[in-house]
Amino acid sequence: MSTLALPRSARDTLPLLRDPALLVPLVGAGVLIYLAVLPLFMLLLGSFQAEVAPREFVYTLKNYQNAYASEYTYSTFRNSLIFASGSAALSFILGTLLAWLTERTNTPLRAIFVPIAVVPLILPGVLESIAWIFLLSPKFGYLNVWLKYFFGLQSAPFNVFSLPGMIWVHSVGQVPLAFLMMVAAFKSMDPSLEESAMMSGGNTWQTLRRVTLRLLMPTCGSVLLILFVRTLESFETPALIGIPARIYVYTSEIYLAFNEYPPDYGRGGALAVGLLILSAIGVWLYTRSTKEGKKFQTVTGKAFRPRQFDLGPWRWAGFGFLMIYFVFVVLLPFLVLLWASFLPFFAAPSWDALQKLGLDNYRYLGGFRPFWEAMKNSVILATLTATVAMVLTSLVAWIVYKSRLPGSWILDFLAFVPITIPGIVMGMALILLYVAFPIPIYGTIWVLLIAYVTRFIPYGMRSASGSIMQIHSELEEAAAASGASWWETFRRVTLPLLRPGFAAGWIYICIVSFREFSTSVLLATGESRVLSILLFTMFEQGQVTVVAAIGILMILTLLAIVGVFYKISGRVGLQT
Amino acid sequence: MYRSKRTASTFAGNFILSCLLLIFSSTVSAQSLDEIHKQALKEGGTLNFYGTLAQINAEKILPVFEKRFPGIKVNHVDATADKLVARAITEARGGRVIGDVFQGSLENGLQLQQQGLLMERVLPEAAAYPDSLKGKDWIASNVIYFVGAWNTGLVKKEDEPKGFEDFADPKWKGKLIAEPRDVEILIGLSKKYKSEEQAIALLKKIAANNPEFHKGHSELAEFLVAGQAAACFTCYSHHFPLRIKKGAPLNYFLSEGAAAVDSTTILKGAPHPNTALLFARWAASEEGQKAYAQGGRTPAHPKIEPVEKTRPEKSYFVGVADIKEWSKYERIWKGIFNLR
Repeated sequence: MSTLALPRSARDTLPLLRDPALLVPLVGAGVLIYLAVLPLFMLLLGSFQAEVAPREFVYTLKNYQNAYASEYTYSTFRNSLIFASGSAALSFILGTLLAWLTERTNTPLRAIFVPIAVVPLILPGVLESIAWIFLLSPKFGYLNVWLKYFFGLQSAPFNVFSLPGMIWVHSVGQVPLAFLMMVAAFKSMDPSLEESAMMSGGNTWQTLRRVTLRLLMPTCGSVLLILFVRTLESFETPALIGIPARIYVYTSEIYLAFNEYPPDYGRGGALAVGLLILSAIGVWLYTRSTKEGKKFQTVTGKAFRPRQFDLGPWRWAGFGFLMIYFVFVVLLPFLVLLWASFLPFFAAPSWDALQKLGLDNYRYLGGFRPFWEAMKNSVILATLTATVAMVLTSLVAWIVYKSRLPGSWILDFLAFVPITIPGIVMGMALILLYVAFPIPIYGTIWVLLIAYVTRFIPYGMRSASGSIMQIHSELEEAAAASGASWWETFRRVTLPLLRPGFAAGWIYICIVSFREFSTSVLLATGESRVLSILLFTMFEQGQVTVVAAIGILMILTLLAIVGVFYKISGRVGLQT
Repeated sequence: MYRSKRTASTFAGNFILSCLLLIFSSTVSAQSLDEIHKQALKEGGTLNFYGTLAQINAEKILPVFEKRFPGIKVNHVDATADKLVARAITEARGGRVIGDVFQGSLENGLQLQQQGLLMERVLPEAAAYPDSLKGKDWIASNVIYFVGAWNTGLVKKEDEPKGFEDFADPKWKGKLIAEPRDVEILIGLSKKYKSEEQAIALLKKIAANNPEFHKGHSELAEFLVAGQAAACFTCYSHHFPLRIKKGAPLNYFLSEGAAAVDSTTILKGAPHPNTALLFARWAASEEGQKAYAQGGRTPAHPKIEPVEKTRPEKSYFVGVADIKEWSKYERIWKGIFNLR
């Protein structure tokens, strides 16, 4: 009776909507459009608007002229390109080397370097820049002071306030991202092709170069792409090191545009649109490389265990590299912060400073209400963001790579779009969107959750898609042939196989959410303030040693979260 | 006769009307803080405070207000003044007012005024303040003094600067640090010499010493402690007493300084207008100003003395008229130091 009452088209559509294989893509598209396209729309709209009087706007192309035909256009473009490609290359090389040495070789003590390699990720960008300023500042940087003292040098050998300084500081912060993604890829590789190469007479290096690395080409491409674009949209290092050094990149230009009076949304928006175009080119290149994905599928129905390369005596060189990385990249910044956290004010290590060490900063934080409120907000947001983003991106990745629905590449593009929106612009776009939004979430942690999920969808997407591409369709086809429904197949076959990528993505998103600040700086109010914002405002206010203490507590909290997750994920397939 | 009678009755009428208005307005102005407190509680008891107070000051000042007026909680949105102004403008652009009170440098307060975002309200407490420290929609909360400071470990006693002119000496080459937005120094020195040219000439000599620029005055003070530079010629005087007490190797001169004002303003259409009024009046009152002094700031109220030594012997005041010419001074300042 009710069916008869329905119009013909609705009768035809409803059964289709009940089919999850069609419903899921539709819902996924809806969510992505809401998360990624709406802020983008606000951004685009803003880039064509000029404020002629307070809150009076006209539409114009002048913003683009101001953004791209100024005397600074060329230097900004050049700096951005050098900064992004330099950082992407350096962090990729370091990350891949670390991942390969710890996952696929017989380097001594490699297992303990796995959690250590992730530690720099835990350092919030602001804190990391501060730590490296304290190490590499030409005037008071410890490393410079010591090197000058020991080698009798006249001038400081390092200057953090330079383009190479920016590349170094940003790269070491990005190495864990490259590392985590490459670890996931190395873990998921079927060793049979490598074994065939070895059996055919190839040595370790030939096999690595001709088989392992070539099999990893799509992953390498996507990792490099993420590193490049992520650097392009990063803000911490350009702000803390670039601006004082007068080295301006796109994000610092956008930041300066938003912070001049009155805020120039138009020019900032136009610059951000430029970043979107650069990223779109990246997506196009990426899509081209992954069209060949099927050739690289290595997770099949056959059982396997990734094999280890025997490095012979070279394993000690590997060990040396890991130790140098550990001491200079992980330990030293951490020690500088630890040292500072016990000081009443920043001072170089000396007998005099040693006598001033104390727990005052920690005692102060114990009774400092904003710190505990921010801690609570950060923990809630980090865990929720990671979970929501990974569930969402696993579904989207499946739709894109397995559903074979026409136009599913649009979802892939939509899921990648937020990576191109710099945090500060995303914050501005979301303010414009939610400040007048009927649902009153502006000023609460929920708008931050939306912002974080949106911003980190691309990272979740790369993790999830990297794994899903390697799952051969034969497994799902076998499940379907055995009578499993779409949902059963997804839950019992696809999802368990996705777990390594899911876990790596979860950890990464949790950490980046915990330390996120460029979006939060605009969206977080007093009540919804997160730790990174407290850290930043207190750094701006000069409480450097308290900032160091907050940093140490942040690191410990994150280590605890990651430790618990790592323990749990050990049962679900992250650990071999 | 008729004419004079009419004039007399008009005068009488006007007199009665004026008296009534006076009685009415005095009723409004004489409304005690406790009465406004009751009205504020009806608004929900929250104050959205867009304030640049550093945590180190805020944690001493704001709890005094919360304790004095139980049931009112301050939601302190703290950032630099330019970011808070950008935020308020953006929110207004979206058709919403979220902040109740903005407190930050007068220059930024006047930017909000220019955007038509401030509520005009002359507070009864303003009567105690000189004209230079109040306006139709703002009142000074504290005074900032820009002075010279140095690292005592890097500057010998005999080399210590006594005033701004000393920084022109080539011995400071590569040893100076400054804040890129401190146009107040140019304006202050122009007042000192009563000549822009002389101020520009001095600053050009300082510029020849190639100072390094970093944003944020607290950061400048910390860089000075760490030894990033030997001296700073645009530092805030109130940043030093506490650090020196903690044992930091710092000193600063109080022979002269440029002076600027931090202002308290109420945002037009504030969601908690009575709570905003309560805070603005309390902050300008003697009791509020004592809290500001205890919290490490230099109070603006003429009767309240700062707790620490922060007021220079001679100060060159940057007022509203100077701020109106800000863009001109900013252009010159940036030109001298080759800043963007």
